[in-house]
Amino acid sequence: MNRFLLLLAFGPAVTPTPTEAMVPMSFQVPTEDAVTVEHPEGLAAVEALEFPPLAFAPPEALEYEVSGVHVFHLEDPSLPLVDVQLFLRGGISNFPRDRLGTISALPYALRNGGTIALPPDSVDRRIDLLALQVGVGQGGGGISLSLNALTHRIDAGLELLQEMLLEPRFDPEVVEVWRIRELERLRRREDNPGSLAFSEFNRLMYGDHPIGWVLAEDDLAPDRLSREAFRESHAEILCRDRLIVGISGDLTWDQAEERILRFLEPWPECEHELPKPPRPELREDRGVFVLPKALDQSTIVMAGPSGIQQGDTQEYFASRVANYLLGGRGFNSRILARIRTEEGLTYGAASVWTTPRRSDGIAGAFTATRADRTIQVARLLLEILGDFRTSPPQQQEVDEAVEEIANGYVFAFESPAQIVSRRMVFRAQGLPDGWLERYLEGLREVTAEDVRTAVRDHLHPEHMTILIVGDPDQLDSGLATLGPVFELTAEGEFHPPVDPGSDPDAGPRSPR
Amino acid sequence: MRGRTRRLRDDGAVLAIALMAAAMPPQVRAQSTPPTSATPVLDGGELDVREHDLDNGMRFLILPRPGAPTVTFVAHVPVGSVNESLGTTGIAHFVEHLLFKGTTTIGTIDAGAERALFDRMDAAHDSLLAVMGRRPDPDSVALRRLETRIEVLEDSARAYVVPNQFDRILSRNGARGLNASTSYEDTRYYVSLPSNRAKLWFVLEADRLRNPVFREFYTERDVIAEERRLRIETSPAGLLYEAHFGTAFRVHPYGVPPTGHMDDILTLSRPQVREHFERYYGPNNTTVAVVGDIDPDSAVTWAERYFGPIEPSAPAPPVLVREPEQRGERRVEVRFDAESQLRIGWKIPEATHPDAPGLAMLANLLVAGRDTRLYRRLVRDERLATAVTAGTGPGSRYPGLFTIQATPRAPYSAEEVEMAIYEELERLRTTPPSPDELERVRTRLAASEIRRLASKEGLAFQIVASEALWGDWRETFRAQERMQSVSADDIVDLLNRYFEPERRTVAILRRGEPTPDDPGGAR
Repeated sequence: MNRFLLLLAFGPAVTPTPTEAMVPMSFQVPTEDAVTVEHPEGLAAVEALEFPPLAFAPPEALEYEVSGVHVFHLEDPSLPLVDVQLFLRGGISNFPRDRLGTISALPYALRNGGTIALPPDSVDRRIDLLALQVGVGQGGGGISLSLNALTHRIDAGLELLQEMLLEPRFDPEVVEVWRIRELERLRRREDNPGSLAFSEFNRLMYGDHPIGWVLAEDDLAPDRLSREAFRESHAEILCRDRLIVGISGDLTWDQAEERILRFLEPWPECEHELPKPPRPELREDRGVFVLPKALDQSTIVMAGPSGIQQGDTQEYFASRVANYLLGGRGFNSRILARIRTEEGLTYGAASVWTTPRRSDGIAGAFTATRADRTIQVARLLLEILGDFRTSPPQQQEVDEAVEEIANGYVFAFESPAQIVSRRMVFRAQGLPDGWLERYLEGLREVTAEDVRTAVRDHLHPEHMTILIVGDPDQLDSGLATLGPVFELTAEGEFHPPVDPGSDPDAGPRSPR
Repeated sequence: MRGRTRRLRDDGAVLAIALMAAAMPPQVRAQSTPPTSATPVLDGGELDVREHDLDNGMRFLILPRPGAPTVTFVAHVPVGSVNESLGTTGIAHFVEHLLFKGTTTIGTIDAGAERALFDRMDAAHDSLLAVMGRRPDPDSVALRRLETRIEVLEDSARAYVVPNQFDRILSRNGARGLNASTSYEDTRYYVSLPSNRAKLWFVLEADRLRNPVFREFYTERDVIAEERRLRIETSPAGLLYEAHFGTAFRVHPYGVPPTGHMDDILTLSRPQVREHFERYYGPNNTTVAVVGDIDPDSAVTWAERYFGPIEPSAPAPPVLVREPEQRGERRVEVRFDAESQLRIGWKIPEATHPDAPGLAMLANLLVAGRDTRLYRRLVRDERLATAVTAGTGPGSRYPGLFTIQATPRAPYSAEEVEMAIYEELERLRTTPPSPDELERVRTRLAASEIRRLASKEGLAFQIVASEALWGDWRETFRAQERMQSVSADDIVDLLNRYFEPERRTVAILRRGEPTPDDPGGAR
């Protein structure tokens, strides 16, 4: 029962907040041993604090090229553990819709589907007996795999991982377990309003683009998940040129290098370039979509297109500060401070401002609130977004936000695996070396005027698509005042107005 | 073929980032552990925990750890929903929320003026409750008038509030992970800070323990109601969880989740919450874990300085209520707009009982991994379910449940999955776990002993929880050791003693409309 829970984190989470006169430099701080001194309490004591500078040389992952593959390494002998992380470029966005099933299942099939020599059970037993942790995932335009092993088992672990990745069996029984699990998940898609809302919202905003795709029965047809289909996708993704490797923990570079060389030796060269992901065409018209679900709490998601992409530009850094102030800094963000702290109308709310590397993103907000205040809260969100344009932050607010982020910057170095993983992501995204440092510098250069410009040009409440998952019978009045209304089904179909009311503009229309 | 390696970037010494001073601190780094041929076993003795007790009874566990210059604080108070009774359920959770609202000096420009308004709005709230209690029909006009009065007074008090200032101070200083949680038997307040700002935690937390002000009470009440809607009332898993424990525990407070009942949330008053705080919070009832880049001597100095002057409170009243023996299977059904889910729970003893390690081992044998008894049968081979989990709970201090949860797969019903689970437990009784099955779990457990040391936050939570439950932070490591010695015969013995139908409570969620007498409380 945490006091605060973000419903969903869309972008890189940053921190919460500022106060006045935190560190008056002229204040005489009592010495540590002066125990007889009368100490101030509360706010006075806080204001009296002075902090020494944080002396810290952040450990840096060093980059090597091993057999043509980028490898990042950071030694940390404090525990007898080694982390190996692999990132393979090539995800659902690089392939047509008829490959969605196979590409979605590929990480699972690599982890669980056995190898040519070892049936799935034998692989699982070896993983258990070697006390390995093997993780797989998908996102960021590729497939992620990880191995955590006790140092004395890293060789056996890497050998097994190599076999799993390069000689996969794609056992049909295992694939079938995945397939029927996904079919069941599809049946249960409407069970949880939060996940349903975000999935439907992406479908509305992105349409027939990989970000908007929802795994459907057709994607899960057995013939789309044949061993041949897996082998085809495997050959296209699991090749040397797609790979980025990270290794951290209890191995020196010499020890790591020897093992990485062995690990990479059998990896084939890629035969051709990956197809480029399609550029999304984002929905731009205002529309209010109601997905009926008889609950006492509604989920509200709203956003419109934003043209800012991740990169070393003034507007990118300004958008990060803007997002932080608007809804990324927890309780003191404009959205949560108003809707939760002041009005008591939600448990969690935040902004969404995505900045993909190579295409446009979206900017907006989301929350959940009691059913009979849904329209009031949707209006409030629009008002807060609108106010952010008409009453943009002043320089002091911007400076405080940057100070908060900068003061917590040290948390970017909490674990060697985290440091290595970040470098891998930067490499995969084509971001320059030293991007983390540049990111902080970029934020420091942001002016209130930059934030105003970014907000003015890229945050458009009037063009937002609004999705409400909730009970139409319990909604407060005024739905049609939010915009033209459509009733949405969980299959992504929509129909003319639910509640046209007296609004002449609320009639049926094309939703895109 | 040996590949080619080249270093792509060589900065020589790594660059200190701009905001940090150039001076090097003493590097806090644990002794490098050389690779060994066997998985090391830890008993906690390897950790250099400095234990420090203040005269007022407050206990500090300070553990320097290697890594980035950050430090994690977890303040643990052994109070949760087990300390509540019907009518005031959720009150411990209220205290947790309200302790972020500030103190007599933080979060306010005039605490005295606020207090005067609190008295007036609390009086209006008392009147409101009196009107609500009138039968047969409360006076709706009077209700609305009183609600409006409370809203107006809270708005007036807001004029003196500096919103979220407690948060602001910490965030401005780079804090991460600021949060708190209330469980059945514990409340924990946690945050991590850059280590050069560690002293700030001592100042703020001591002030919060000494001088809290429960401002913005009625607005926060509404936030808590939204939290309940989010976690339970719109969540199939949350509803089933609540119904399951509510059916298994009819007397013991494990029957009510920490969020509390909605009607209690909406009627609790500020004086009640204040009284609860005063009864259960005090330095003598608080243990703090401080883990990370911190000098233990400085931590002790700051602990003495800021917490030392706080007077101890009266000892917290113990929880004496015991759940009567269950004399037959109980079943509960929850109707909701969602696909079916299944929970089966058997009554088991508390986590300090000698059987607890064996029960934890049993959960591992059943579901921890793909090649385990229940996963193989339900998910892989017969495909009756898409997921199965097992564990013990909902707390540690009192007898609880060993629970198995499963997600049935269409067209199979929850009952078919349920029967398969019973058959598999019976099979485990007649075909005890093989040496290979036990060895795999033991190996995994041994490795987890190393992995658990990797996170400062994780360590802080583990040692403070162990101290609270056992009175010794080391027990968390010894408990793992005890699991290692569980035998196949022990597993069979546990199955014979605890997994009888009369100790069982079954909860099933089905698609459909709730009925008025639905004990699952699906509404």
